[in-house]
Amino acid sequence: MPLEASARIVSELTSRGYNAEREAVTKLASAENPQAALERVVEDLPEDALVVRTDHVDSTLLRGNSTGPNADAASDSPADPAVSTGDATTDPPATGGDVPVETKGGGGADRSVDPALRSLEIAGDMTGQSTGTGEYEDFVAVFRDRLERLGSKLRGRVNHRPASAIQNMPGGSDVAMVGLVNDIRSTASGHWLIELEDATGTFPWLVMKDREYVDLVDELLCDEVLAMEGTLADDSGIAFVDSMYFPDIPRTHEPSTADRHVQAALISDVHVGSDEFMAEAWNRFADWLHTEQAQHVEYLLLAGDMVEGVGVYPDQDEELEIVDIYEQYEAFSEHLKKIPGDIEIVMIPGNHDAVRLAEPQPGFDEELREIMSAHDPQIVSNPSTVTLEGVSVLMYHGVSLDEVIAELPEEKASYDDPHKAMYQLLKKRHVAPQFGGHTRLAPEERDYLVMEEVPDIFHTGHVHKLGFGKYHNVLAINSGCWQAQTDFQKSVNIDPDAGYAPIVDLDTLDVTVQKFS
Amino acid sequence: MREADERYFERLESQLDEAFDVAERAKERGADPKPEVEIPTARDMADRVENILGIDGVAERVRELEGEMSREEAALELAEDFAEGRVGDYESKAGKVEGAVRTAVALLTEGVVAAPIEGIDKVEILENDDGTEFVNVYYAGPIRSAGGTAQALSVLVADYTRALVGIEQFSARDEEIERYAEEIALYDKETGLQYTPKDKETKFIAKHMPIMLDGEATGDEEVSGFRDLERVDTNSARGGMCLVMAEGIALKAPKIQRYTRNLDEIDWPWLQDLIDGTYYDDAADEGDGEDDADEDEAADESEGEDPADGDDADEPQGPPRVEESTKFLRDLIAGRPVFSHPCAEGGFRLRYGRARNHGFATAGVHPAAMHLVDDFLATGTQIKTERPGKAAGVVPVDSIEGPTVKLANGDVRRIDDPEDALEIRNGVEKILDLGEYLVNYGEFVENNHPLAPASYTYEWWVQDLAAAGADVQALEDDPRIDLEFPEPEEALEWAVEYDAPLHPEYTYLWHDISVDAFCDLAAAVAEGRIEQDGDGSVNGNGDDSILVLAYADVVADALETIVIEHRQRPDADRIEIDDWRPFVRTVGCEPRRAVADGAALDLDADRDGGEEEPSIELERTWSADDLSERARNWGREDEPDGANAIEAVNEVAPFQVRERAPTRIGNRMGRPEKSESRDLSPPVHTLFPIGEAGGAQRNVADAAKHAETMSDTPGVVELQVGRQRCPDCATETFKNRCPDCDARTEPDYRCPDCDESLEPDDAGRVECDRCEREGTCVENREVDVNDEFRSALESVGERENAFDILKGVKGLTSSNKIPEPIEKGILRAKHDVSAFKDGTVRYDMTDLPVTSVRASELDVDVGQLQALGYEEDIHGEPLTHEDQLVELKVQDIVLSDGAAEHMLQTADFIDDLLEQYYGLEPFYEFEDRQELVGELVFGMAPHTSAATVGRVIGFTSAAVGYAHPYFHAAKRRNCDGDEDCVMLLLDGLLNFSKSFLPDQRGGKMDAPLVMSSRIDPSEIDDEAHNMDVVSQYPREFYLATREQADPEEVDVQIAEENLGTDLEYTGFEHTHDTTDIAMGPDLSAYKTLGSMMDKMDAQLELSRKLEAVDETDVAERVIEYHFLPDLIGNLRAFSRQETRCLDCGEKFRRMPLTGDCRECGGRVNLTVHKGSVNKYMQTAIKVADEYDCRDYTKQRLEVLERSLESIFENDKNKQSGIEDFM
Repeated sequence: MPLEASARIVSELTSRGYNAEREAVTKLASAENPQAALERVVEDLPEDALVVRTDHVDSTLLRGNSTGPNADAASDSPADPAVSTGDATTDPPATGGDVPVETKGGGGADRSVDPALRSLEIAGDMTGQSTGTGEYEDFVAVFRDRLERLGSKLRGRVNHRPASAIQNMPGGSDVAMVGLVNDIRSTASGHWLIELEDATGTFPWLVMKDREYVDLVDELLCDEVLAMEGTLADDSGIAFVDSMYFPDIPRTHEPSTADRHVQAALISDVHVGSDEFMAEAWNRFADWLHTEQAQHVEYLLLAGDMVEGVGVYPDQDEELEIVDIYEQYEAFSEHLKKIPGDIEIVMIPGNHDAVRLAEPQPGFDEELREIMSAHDPQIVSNPSTVTLEGVSVLMYHGVSLDEVIAELPEEKASYDDPHKAMYQLLKKRHVAPQFGGHTRLAPEERDYLVMEEVPDIFHTGHVHKLGFGKYHNVLAINSGCWQAQTDFQKSVNIDPDAGYAPIVDLDTLDVTVQKFS
Repeated sequence: MREADERYFERLESQLDEAFDVAERAKERGADPKPEVEIPTARDMADRVENILGIDGVAERVRELEGEMSREEAALELAEDFAEGRVGDYESKAGKVEGAVRTAVALLTEGVVAAPIEGIDKVEILENDDGTEFVNVYYAGPIRSAGGTAQALSVLVADYTRALVGIEQFSARDEEIERYAEEIALYDKETGLQYTPKDKETKFIAKHMPIMLDGEATGDEEVSGFRDLERVDTNSARGGMCLVMAEGIALKAPKIQRYTRNLDEIDWPWLQDLIDGTYYDDAADEGDGEDDADEDEAADESEGEDPADGDDADEPQGPPRVEESTKFLRDLIAGRPVFSHPCAEGGFRLRYGRARNHGFATAGVHPAAMHLVDDFLATGTQIKTERPGKAAGVVPVDSIEGPTVKLANGDVRRIDDPEDALEIRNGVEKILDLGEYLVNYGEFVENNHPLAPASYTYEWWVQDLAAAGADVQALEDDPRIDLEFPEPEEALEWAVEYDAPLHPEYTYLWHDISVDAFCDLAAAVAEGRIEQDGDGSVNGNGDDSILVLAYADVVADALETIVIEHRQRPDADRIEIDDWRPFVRTVGCEPRRAVADGAALDLDADRDGGEEEPSIELERTWSADDLSERARNWGREDEPDGANAIEAVNEVAPFQVRERAPTRIGNRMGRPEKSESRDLSPPVHTLFPIGEAGGAQRNVADAAKHAETMSDTPGVVELQVGRQRCPDCATETFKNRCPDCDARTEPDYRCPDCDESLEPDDAGRVECDRCEREGTCVENREVDVNDEFRSALESVGERENAFDILKGVKGLTSSNKIPEPIEKGILRAKHDVSAFKDGTVRYDMTDLPVTSVRASELDVDVGQLQALGYEEDIHGEPLTHEDQLVELKVQDIVLSDGAAEHMLQTADFIDDLLEQYYGLEPFYEFEDRQELVGELVFGMAPHTSAATVGRVIGFTSAAVGYAHPYFHAAKRRNCDGDEDCVMLLLDGLLNFSKSFLPDQRGGKMDAPLVMSSRIDPSEIDDEAHNMDVVSQYPREFYLATREQADPEEVDVQIAEENLGTDLEYTGFEHTHDTTDIAMGPDLSAYKTLGSMMDKMDAQLELSRKLEAVDETDVAERVIEYHFLPDLIGNLRAFSRQETRCLDCGEKFRRMPLTGDCRECGGRVNLTVHKGSVNKYMQTAIKVADEYDCRDYTKQRLEVLERSLESIFENDKNKQSGIEDFM
């Protein structure tokens, strides 16, 4: 998985405060022991270096290992010079990744773009489509819809029976069922009892503690959809699990890519209005977008928390630089104006924004749209899928990540590797499966939180940690944030990744991370 | 003990014995779980300790040790006894430690609270990583009631016993240490701790703790790191452990250290580091690291400035003042008004003294003020207060100054009579001043609060006068002189003649106006005229004159601020002041008789003509330039701004003027007072189980007819009950008497695995040796409820129409599930009383203290008091008259009217019970409530396990239970709004049974496991010992308040000094009398107003009227602390709610996909609906708007409102206005 490896390298380097040229990363990734190579390179870096360049890697690797993997790396390295823009094609490697501060005010950099080449489509936006009125039936409908749509991905794989039929089958039969996880319990003898529910009722499934599937139990969340196969007990009151199936992303999934070299910046959690909002870093980012190096960045995706909001937690006003919510959005709009005008912006709300907290969250209302109209961003619901030149990006703010991280074992999901928590959501094909816990649900006529189609990119934020990687060829990116460590984060020992902008090549789905803090 | 006291107690005890005999005889006959009375009598603490613990021999040993050493030392001594097996019958080491720890906690809590049995779950021996053994003490939530010191000592005793029996120390693993820190922080967040140690501190303690502290999970919230530890059973916070560690060890380290030093066996050297705070890596940076504990305490506690520190060289720029504290305003909720913002002008003025119904966490408020705050304050209403404590119960005291109000007609009047208050209440435009607020010295001692500068009051002035050389005794004896409320002329005369400060009656609140305002006022006065108002009244000036000033807003404001009675007539351009002479002299003006033509004295005829000159002219004797710079700038100590005119006044007035009210005390309403019967919810009459057969009402009669299907016999219900067996004829039953041969039955324990019959061992444990399982006698059994019900009716000779409904319980929660005889329930239902979980009938009242009473206010006559042993009044005069004050005896209590009514019903129930069920003579036979006087009751507080015997002495219309502070303290209550219950003596003796108590944590709390027949003042909660018992505070005290001295430094006698002497039950003198202990409204408006909205409207309306309250802040806080949390919380709850079946009540974590109930197929619905989510939305928006709240608050509401719309409204089907159709 060279791509995952490079992603790891980039995040490792960024966590140490370095940017990296893409080729340098590729070279490191293809080294025999990328981790060790990385260590050596970092050690050899000149004191003032902020960017790991190809020549740094070359010199280090050549010194340490004469049979350097150059050849491989070269062939693996993406065909960088983009075809769409004729001029300055070879420049990026030379100046690329340079600290962009010097280019301040250089907004005039050549950003010749051809809007005709672009395409941007939105799917799954439920803004203005909220038809639920908070009745019991609405809740029932939403869960039935979930089972219906995710179940359809499983029904072909097993010979499933409804719960009500299973209990009438003779003991010892082979059975299978598709349903929502209703309950997960451990038994006194250490086995696991998982109750599956479908539209006819519930049925208990026992996962024996010594079976291979037992590890998967750790990953289960209530209300996710899965299929189980197994053998019915003698009294038909319970079934013993032989295999478990998740809706999952097919291993064969081949992501779509753009036909040209074009990039998208995937950011989130700007938190304008907070005392800790990093205006400097934001400005550097905006300035950088005006540089040549960023000339291919034609899309900017914002995964929620534009502003710090009001009343999100008790006594929040004491930590607000801008106390007025409308002024927060006005200030945010000002910051947005610094982004080159030709960049297409898509944004969804987050839990700090002035929309309902319950998911799905509709996009901002007219009043707020008006405030942010200067740059004419596309404002859609959380979650929504945006397709950029054929590359579909599922944007979701990421509140459920907290829950996934809390419920799952550390090695499967942690704040340090937020993308691994995202893998779990991809596997479950649902952005926020568990009901009744951390995540809030507003019942609508359908479950907008289901990932019906496989996205090419899954983009979240919320946890203020940067991390990305690929799961079954789907690129999962959790953007960092633009808010420095808050007192609360300090108290719970969260060190946010603030001031980074992950940039995705839409033609290759490669990621580079730009650091602005 | 005096002979009179001895007689009193003997009398109580003989009365008790009499009832006991009756109860014993009854019990022998009935079918109660036990054939004898189940509440043992304890004459002293040693008895209680032994009874609560149930360990023989403890009482004897405690008595031996008691005279020789402190209780803490005795606890350690007993630990040795346990270790060596001299006390208790424990074989295992764990058992010895457990016995010692429980005994220590019982001893330190005087054997009253449930902590020793409920707060310590078990002690076990576990293994360290190196294979050695260590002790694990398993705490539970109720350890809270033990208090920090006992909690801390329990750890020490555990360690000491551990050392003595030879077990190694505990060595915590790193992850366990981290876990402690995380857990304590979590517990603090979830539940809150009085003291929260920092993480470093917790880890330091955990690392050095020689025994393991463990416990039950008490919360739902789980720790996020350090989960699933091998030696910690739970991932939730262990509440008991957190309390012991934080409020015990961390907070009380100096106390434990005192004892560790004397013990050779154990060594806690780390305590010193803990006390010094040197567990930090950077301890050196901590400036006061070397300070010892005592000094720290003083420094930490002093809230105000410390004038003692101030070097005399640089003189203060302002008067001594306390610092504002806004803590009491936190969590303000709708419907409970703020009476005064912190230290706000116009708020309650601190007056020192103790009224006879006062002390022990109470606050004296003038009854007129209670009415004027729209009846929100009543006797017993709890207020949250700025200082000295956190909360207090309100008591009516009318010997202090009442509130001053401005009426719609422009009159500014002080209201000293509650009747007047009611009369003028509708015309009140503004409450300029709430009057005085009486706090006794002992409160400051108890809270270790530096004394706050005292108001200038009569008690102080009269001592000033004596100090100035006046013969106060002669003045007091002069029948023409009212020293407390003198004529203005007299007040002036004394001030001038003796060079004493001006009398407080004529001392106004000069410190509340600025020097500039004062100069303006003086100028206005100099321009003023003296008129004869012609009404013939003398107005106390020796003549019929009043001062008339030209109307000006600044003058009116100044007069309102200094709180002087006057009349504003803006239309006539007049402001009139009656008692003008002291006022005029104070502002530095001299009245001079004008050169008049004599005709001026002709007042009646043509005063209105206007051509006449006034006979008296006012001459200002000073100009602004005459004021010293110090007086001009006098303000706050840190900020010389001329905001305080008192120094200017003293420079221009011909006498000394003291600060009238330098300390104002902010407060708000806490809980309303309480006086109502204690019912289980839903109320039950009998502890007899009927399952679901009785319907939602738990109606026994319905259950008797209930049949699941057509083929079932009506009334036969399957129930979980205890199996009993008759020892004589081996009949199996669930009753306490054999239905065949009437012999008493015994529980029939069996092993659930092998069904072997089992006998309980000595400790009462039932275990099957073969299967190692706990035996039980509980079984599912078909019970013919119909037959039980009918035969019970028959046996007591009642018919079904004797009562409306007889309510049973769904199931029993006790360990052996022994049902109560239905007969008792039938008689309870007949007399409309309900049973508590232990079988008793209870009545709850807010506790208030009283030390002297009058027969007249108790609705009793002198004869009745005399019959109870009251012979003399407080002055030693023979008791002959209803209005004489007598000193209350310590176990005598005053019942509220409601309680008396309820006691009468209970007495009727008991009489019927004796006659119709037990077949004995009735005991009480009351006709009216007067006969209750002299009867014994039990007082019993929640979280405790000991009842205290009390005697009814009279009744009050206030909705509270007045009793001697020692009586409350014996129950471990103070009077800051706490409430507890009374039970009729014979009801407790007859109907209480331990067998009914729930078999769960806390089940033994609030149950009379033992009763104290007499109060030993040394064995009660020592808070009561801090009450002052004098009739006057010395002048030095008042002067010391100006220095904000430590309360311990002044000499006022407190009750503690009499402990152990003959005087310990007597001599509770007071400084202030009150006409009646039940003045003001009987019930707080909070209870009489209907809906929450009405209450809130009244609250906000009142906040507008009160000068001392900022209504915007109140609105802001109500929204912030009540509406917003409610809205946000409900919205959150909505979007992650459970659902419930409307038919069978089954709950589902998530909506079933079938839509219907999985259990019964019934209809399922939400538990949180739209209506409950947005019930406050519109009100909150309206209030925010009306009271001009900040944009921040308004915007939060806006965002929320939109969220609600988004969730509850269909975007495509929006409610449209009528204009859409036009």
